[in-house]
Amino acid sequence: MFEARLLQGNLLKKVLDSIKDIITEGNFDCSPNGLSLQAMDSSHVSLIDILLESEGFEHYRCDRNIPMGLNITNLVKMLKCAGSDDIVTIKCEDKPDNVTFLFESKDNDKISDFEMKTMTIDDEHLLVPDQTYTAVVKMPSAEFQRLCRDMSAIGDTVHISVTKEGVRFSTTGDMGTANITVRPNPSADLKDEERTEVQITEPVSASFALRYLNSFTKATPLSPTVTLGMVPNLPVVVEYKIADMGHVRYYLAPKIEDEENGGAIEA
Amino acid sequence: MGIKNLKKLISDHAPGAFKDMPLDAYFSRIVAIDASMHIYQFMAVVGRSGEDQLTNEHGEVTSHLQGMMHRTSRLLQAGIKPVYVFDGKPPEMKSGELSKRRAAREQAVEKLKEAKESGDAAAVEKYSKRDLKVTKEHNEECKRLLRLMGVPVIEAPCEAEAQCAELCKHGLVYSVATEDMDCLCFGTTRQSRHMMAPASQKKDVQEFQIDKVLEGMDITMDQFIDICILCGCDYCGTIRGIGPKKSFDLIKKHKCIEKVLENIDLTKNKVPENFDYEQVRRLFKAPEITPATECSPFKWTAPDEEGLIAFMVDEKSFNLERIQSVIKKVKASKSKSTQGRLDSFFSAAPRKPAAGLSLGGKKGANKAGAFGKSTGVTKTKKSGGIRLG
Repeated sequence: MFEARLLQGNLLKKVLDSIKDIITEGNFDCSPNGLSLQAMDSSHVSLIDILLESEGFEHYRCDRNIPMGLNITNLVKMLKCAGSDDIVTIKCEDKPDNVTFLFESKDNDKISDFEMKTMTIDDEHLLVPDQTYTAVVKMPSAEFQRLCRDMSAIGDTVHISVTKEGVRFSTTGDMGTANITVRPNPSADLKDEERTEVQITEPVSASFALRYLNSFTKATPLSPTVTLGMVPNLPVVVEYKIADMGHVRYYLAPKIEDEENGGAIEA
Repeated sequence: MGIKNLKKLISDHAPGAFKDMPLDAYFSRIVAIDASMHIYQFMAVVGRSGEDQLTNEHGEVTSHLQGMMHRTSRLLQAGIKPVYVFDGKPPEMKSGELSKRRAAREQAVEKLKEAKESGDAAAVEKYSKRDLKVTKEHNEECKRLLRLMGVPVIEAPCEAEAQCAELCKHGLVYSVATEDMDCLCFGTTRQSRHMMAPASQKKDVQEFQIDKVLEGMDITMDQFIDICILCGCDYCGTIRGIGPKKSFDLIKKHKCIEKVLENIDLTKNKVPENFDYEQVRRLFKAPEITPATECSPFKWTAPDEEGLIAFMVDEKSFNLERIQSVIKKVKASKSKSTQGRLDSFFSAAPRKPAAGLSLGGKKGANKAGAFGKSTGVTKTKKSGGIRLG
């Protein structure tokens, strides 16, 4: 059986908010190490990778791997019933037909439990290679959110290029063009999470659809900083760390610049 | 017209072999489309009421163009890269089927006359549908339209389905879009039905994978072809008293048509005169096609605006604004087609071979793999590149 008790139940809401625009259903995988989820959007352009490690829970028990297929839209609805300070406990059997969510108020004066039906989801899993990045950019997550929003007011594709000097975001639309350059700011006056850091081994640039980046920024409340990892000609990873818990990561396939070329197909 | 009741047979014995997917899921995939089959469909469906087809002011039929233009633009908007394959000459084997169809058409004309005299509107609709004929001109017009839209067109030496299958087998296309199930007999690895369904129907694409069909039915490809021949295909008659279910059971038991024929009561199950199954097998296995290696690479180009307007508006009297809006949509779809797919960068996690029943186990195994990976990323630190975190 599986049982996990999370003191900051609000965190679960935030995690769900960070994925509900991208997927409508997903398999949460319970394993002795923790709770995880991997899912792609319907057009297979982006991938979500969530990990909530067992250590982050107040109590965690999982005897064997259990896939928990849930409808995300319904789950969000259900979690709306939990107060923001509530303690959340998730429970299910080894081969669950239902998953139980238990919400306890902070002062222990109200307990509610909800049961949700599970579903069998035949999803495709991808092996995300254990990768080293040629460029890693860490910046305040709110700033990244603002930047993506501003960019999408102008165009729908953003070109990101990372050099030693900084990160340049540029876009073009019907009304004109926009460029935003973010420079590393190592000033000692700033707190860690207010700093922008750029580490590169070689300059990288690629184009991405803003529509997806904008949905990724729904994870902003989870973390004060966001980290972008890039490798030439490979998907970008956008990571939001969840303190003491794990992460929400998004992978996004780049736009292919050469449109004459049909691109590789794999069977 | 495909194999009789094959869909049902597959869903009975290999339920894991097909799944419904949203059209979105095909984006940036190259898909071969059996053009001839679809043109016929357009003629039968698009803009029809009673006996009348969609025509322009000169009385020329335009259903096929209307259908082809809008459905193609829908595919392009979904980011799909279509390749249209047209029929060449019909194979000799099909002559029996074709003469049958001709007879059916003549009969339909008779019935149509009767229905018109008696004023039965439903019957008029029914029989006039059967009197449809796709002429060479219709095909040529569609090709011209597609080329103007910047979509690649291939002319098969013989059956379009066979050519589609060849492209699919060699990985030049991801899947074959046709409603006819016999494309699976030609060796198509992945078939997509309802891909050209109108947007208004909101139908999901139904995708079949031959390896899963064979796995689920637990037969070989040769046996699958034999079952299809027994079920009834376009190329020869069927044995009396043997339907899809019986065909499946017989082949499972006796492994091939030769043995089946030895073991059935030939007086009860009468074998038709033209039952040349060996020839049909040959046709399925080695059809007349242009080898994939000789096909020139597909190219999707920007639509020829002036050309399209000249053809569709000036010649075919389509509404100028409508054509312009289609052109706009096709142009806009170009930016979408440059988006890469994640699964072309990352490989799929290994699946357990057993399809269908053992879902629970399979899931667990998969998950463990993916999970191990993600923790791996967090933990390991190597020199060289930069790690996250």
